[in-house]
Amino acid sequence: MPELLDRRAVRLDAAATGRDDAIRQCGEALVVAGAVEPSYVDTMLERERSVSTYVGEGVAIPHGTLNGKDSVRHDAVSFVRFPDGVAWGDERVVLCIGIAARGDGHVRLLSELAQILLDPDRARALRETDDIDEVVRLLQPAGEEEPA
Amino acid sequence: MSMRTVVIASRTGLHARPAALFVKAASEQGVPVRIRVGEGKAVPAASMLAVLSLGAGHGTEVTLEADGPGADDALDALAALLARDLDAEETSDA
Repeated sequence: MPELLDRRAVRLDAAATGRDDAIRQCGEALVVAGAVEPSYVDTMLERERSVSTYVGEGVAIPHGTLNGKDSVRHDAVSFVRFPDGVAWGDERVVLCIGIAARGDGHVRLLSELAQILLDPDRARALRETDDIDEVVRLLQPAGEEEPA
Repeated sequence: MSMRTVVIASRTGLHARPAALFVKAASEQGVPVRIRVGEGKAVPAASMLAVLSLGAGHGTEVTLEADGPGADDALDALAALLARDLDAEETSDA
């Protein structure tokens, strides 16, 4: 089974002209990693227009709509950091974590991600590290055992 | 302490739009409300990350808690929100 976060889906020093551009970069990172079809990116933009995926602390977690599920090849995340920040409605985002999940996988995936981001040490490391391997390690969900 | 137990009605679970609506409503109550799954740790209902961390899917039973004046009204309003399929109210083209 492929890794949840592929090294190819990590960008530590990105810049975006705005929210939609940032979401496209997040989506394209998922495409490059082979996790989704290019059409998934459009459903991520569609989702964002329906509801903001800003979750606080300068983090957004863009993901596709239900219609986008068919363009997901496997559950995956992408990690795109914008050191200069991106305007996101009334907020400012420095970290975009793109999410792709089949079926009901998104609830567990979001839960794992939220728990990582709520941990001050891991959250700080994700903002500051210059090491892609460390990002991959930090976003490795705990308890990824074989399903029973 | 006042408590309400409610089953998540939204068909994709408590995330995205349903979670955004819930967190916004929770932050507008006059009292701090906490939410937990089963006997798990209760977390602030007004924090999106905390609510997402619960991993509450469709059909998950959650418990809302609050203290003080207005707690019962706040919990009634929030429990009623979770008992609705908030995804069904999403725009039809989404």
